[in-house]
Amino acid sequence: MRLNRVLAIAKKNLRSLKHDRRTVGFLVLMPLLMITIFGYTFGGTIQNVSVYIVNLDQAPSNSSVSEKIIASLESTDTLHIVKMLTTPDGVGAAAEEVKDAHIWAAIVFNETFSADVLAASRSLGPPASIQLIIDGTNPNIVSAVTGELQTAIRSVIGSGAAAPMSVAPDLVYGKDARFIDFFAPGVMGLAAMMVTFMLSIISFVHERSGSTLDRLLSTPVTEGEIVAGYALAFGFVGLIQSCVIISAAILLFNVMIVGNVLLALLVVFVLGVGNQGLGFMLSSFAKNEFQAIQFLPLILFPSILLSGVFWPLEAVPTLLRPVSYFIPLTYAVEGLRSVMIRGWSIDGIWVQLVVLLGFAVAMLLLSALGLKRRR
Amino acid sequence: MIALESAGMDRSASTVALGGGGRSVKRTLEAENDAIHAHRLRKVYDDLVAVDDIDLKIAKGQLYGMIGPNGSGKTTTIKMLVGLLRLTSGKAYVLGEKVPISQNISRIGYMPQEMAIYTDLTVRENLQLFSELYSIDPKKFEGRADDLLKVIDLADRKDSLVSELSGSMRHRVSLACALVHDPEVVFLDEPTVGVDPELRVGFWKYFADLKEKGKTIVLTTHYMDEAVRCDTVGMMRAGRMIAEGSPKGLMEESGTADLESAFLTFAKKVGS
Repeated sequence: MRLNRVLAIAKKNLRSLKHDRRTVGFLVLMPLLMITIFGYTFGGTIQNVSVYIVNLDQAPSNSSVSEKIIASLESTDTLHIVKMLTTPDGVGAAAEEVKDAHIWAAIVFNETFSADVLAASRSLGPPASIQLIIDGTNPNIVSAVTGELQTAIRSVIGSGAAAPMSVAPDLVYGKDARFIDFFAPGVMGLAAMMVTFMLSIISFVHERSGSTLDRLLSTPVTEGEIVAGYALAFGFVGLIQSCVIISAAILLFNVMIVGNVLLALLVVFVLGVGNQGLGFMLSSFAKNEFQAIQFLPLILFPSILLSGVFWPLEAVPTLLRPVSYFIPLTYAVEGLRSVMIRGWSIDGIWVQLVVLLGFAVAMLLLSALGLKRRR
Repeated sequence: MIALESAGMDRSASTVALGGGGRSVKRTLEAENDAIHAHRLRKVYDDLVAVDDIDLKIAKGQLYGMIGPNGSGKTTTIKMLVGLLRLTSGKAYVLGEKVPISQNISRIGYMPQEMAIYTDLTVRENLQLFSELYSIDPKKFEGRADDLLKVIDLADRKDSLVSELSGSMRHRVSLACALVHDPEVVFLDEPTVGVDPELRVGFWKYFADLKEKGKTIVLTTHYMDEAVRCDTVGMMRAGRMIAEGSPKGLMEESGTADLESAFLTFAKKVGS
């Protein structure tokens, strides 16, 4: 493999982009638009989430922990307590309301709640539990309600005491993290993946249908050099896009980036190279641009829905969750979040990087082999 | 095959030489001395025989023209010789190297029938791309590009995007891309289609100059007035070489006054 020929192919692709201002505009504005729309849509403060409270706690008012928590919850704008119920059949009624989507959640304190808290605080029993019946269709809402509950509990029993409620760990994104912080790394990965895949498959179908690929292959350039040149050019485009997204995320939404930005960009680059290879490979099954476009939903929809960009993997239905682990974007998003929110270094994301590198190498090799085979 | 003798080529000698069994040395020598040497070249797609056992022996410095109707196997033959298609059977050598060539790939140039240039690059950028792929010294490229731009009469449009050029201009850019590395053997698949008559004359003058410099040119064409200018013409029909020889020899042998009539005569003989 000769570097000068790889660079020639890479330069050719970048020069093509230079002359196509509309596409360059698309490449820059598309991620900007995505982060802006998603940011404003998901990044706002959640208010007035309608809930029922079912308080079955038998403790007298002067020693009732549940009443103190409820008082704290009443003082926030996040929750709108539609109804307070105190009878045991209220649990079923409230659950029914959640099921019918009339309210978002029902917060239930059982009969022995205060006593359980007292026992737990003296290490004489397990933590008391607050039952949260919640509509999980919107992770923002889940996050907001559980967050308010935790705040109320802390305000009542102090941060030192054992929390009388268990919280699903997938909803804990990091201290003080907002949804936009959770979301920005996902958008970065998604944008890089979409653009590199689209550019690659369309460009290559064009190369094939216009016979320029034949012409390239009649020169000393090898199949591997063509694939590497494309990977370099489109990986670079993915990087530029990520820089746009990171800049916009910081400037517009003050997004948290705890870890090393360069490491995050490396993840994006490797993801971009891999998806470029995937586009390259699939282009051999399309005779023209129209057929190539048909691959977009096939690849993009599972990636968008199952890779954890919009909601945690734990929110993906159990039946579909194994599919998530076959989607490279899943690893990129996880890696990016670990770097940007958790502040992890390469030690913490090596598994994700290895998977992405494996994907990229496999795709590039298959692409190069596919080019040889067509002869 | 008809008219071999009139082409002044000793086809029987080459056939014997390629016949195998202890003659491989002679075959290799012939293959090395010729620009192109092919024996029983065959390409089959499923149940379609695109090229049917053709032999080729093109000496260095020759201008060889392939003529024949669409689907006669001209493009497939060229694609096999430049290494873009696998041979179903047979053997071929280009500049002494067995096809698909790798060592000699920088010594050949190929202009496909389709435009096959990047419309989203400028004329100069297209030339530069191919120059870089052939690892041409950037300093030499400048002079080479200027010369070629004059030949294709596009010096004043070198910074125009190819998408802004007319079909004829694009065709000329495609030709220049095939020649940018100054190859010894040039395969041109219908190089003058869509080119205006005045420029066609210019192209043929350039081909003659290349031949003068010892370059070998293998081209396909539909224009019989162009084929007459070739040293040797191969007439193809339904994947088979139905006649081969000098234009004059072919016309004499067929008793006709032009190549078109000669082609029809040979086609009729083969068909009957």
